[in-house]
Amino acid sequence: MAVTDALFWYGCNMTRHAEIIRISAHLLECAGVPAAPVGGPGACCGSPKESQPRVAEGMARRTMSSFNDSGAKQVITWCPTCHMNLDDFMGATQEPRFGHAHVTEALWDRRAALAPVLTRPVTGRVLVDTHVGFNDRAPVNEAVHGLLRLVPGLEVLEHPYRGASYMCFGLAGVPGALPAHLERLVAAAREVEADTIVSIFHSCHRELVALEKTHGFKVRNWAHILGESAGLPHGDEYKDWRNAADPAALIGAERIEAAGADAVAKYVLPELNR
Amino acid sequence: MYANWSELREKETAGMLAACTRCGACYDACPMTPHIPAAQGVAPSAIVAGVLDLLQGGAGDAASQGWVSACTRTGSCIPACPEGVNPTLMLRLAKFRAQENGTMPPRDASRAMPTVKAFARLGFTAEEQEKWL
Repeated sequence: MAVTDALFWYGCNMTRHAEIIRISAHLLECAGVPAAPVGGPGACCGSPKESQPRVAEGMARRTMSSFNDSGAKQVITWCPTCHMNLDDFMGATQEPRFGHAHVTEALWDRRAALAPVLTRPVTGRVLVDTHVGFNDRAPVNEAVHGLLRLVPGLEVLEHPYRGASYMCFGLAGVPGALPAHLERLVAAAREVEADTIVSIFHSCHRELVALEKTHGFKVRNWAHILGESAGLPHGDEYKDWRNAADPAALIGAERIEAAGADAVAKYVLPELNR
Repeated sequence: MYANWSELREKETAGMLAACTRCGACYDACPMTPHIPAAQGVAPSAIVAGVLDLLQGGAGDAASQGWVSACTRTGSCIPACPEGVNPTLMLRLAKFRAQENGTMPPRDASRAMPTVKAFARLGFTAEEQEKWL
């Protein structure tokens, strides 16, 4: 873990979206909060092992100790599950020696420093996939709408629909809930004549990207849009892979071999081909 | 500050059991209830009573297990509780207990971390893997 005043705790499942981590870290630096990215299994909040609370506690305790030992004064979160576990369990059982804030909140609070780098116009009529949950911890819906409105040329549309849960991952585990959410979201997007649906969180992005193929909307994460406006690389490899007829061919044999062909075949391709 | 998760769970559970009046306001506020077939037609107060049973290590019933399974942490139940209980946390703690004692099946998370690692090797540069993981 890098020695730094702040950590950008991107979580576990964000390893699917390396460019979002890069863009977020760059934007944080522009906003005056240089933060070293940290995440993956070695910095897990324990959530994936929640069915075994003792295992989850061990993982969370290790992560909390490592954050405390890093000397960081602030932890900027990406994943709302990590953020809530920090609030509810990690920080309730080990004294944190740092403050924490969600990345959208941190950027929105420092929008005066961020706005000057968002110079390139981005065209689109965008509707944000908003959920009810987590907003009592961090005002993500408000912050993302505000951040998108800093981007020249972008039309940020409003619709009162808010999905249940705090991101699409939770809905995916309840029979019928995710299809119902997607149906209402698409209806809302059509109602306001949006051409782009914007995800806030990674798990929503994973569930929404296929709408490009099936419903004709563009699907982008807020970070991709801000990255484009800031002149950063903003390609979305995960979306390209998921929507490709042959994801393995698009990734390429050399890259698959370098990442471990067996692991890619067992863990990556089934998700990309679903 | 609690000493560990066990103490947190024990004390939070005791507080919930003491405060909850089984009024059912939390269930009424939940947007996930249309997705719980086993709970259709069951009184919210009975469903909450089942959750409290799960919380204490009992088996609850199909409706309460269904609600625990369907909780996606929307949080609409929290302001709805007139007694200041956090029903979202109550459902989560009930799930912990029910999965530990075999009342409810655990989530299979065996693929989660290998998938996270495989995507990291695909998407991160060697330097990013060194620094970010």
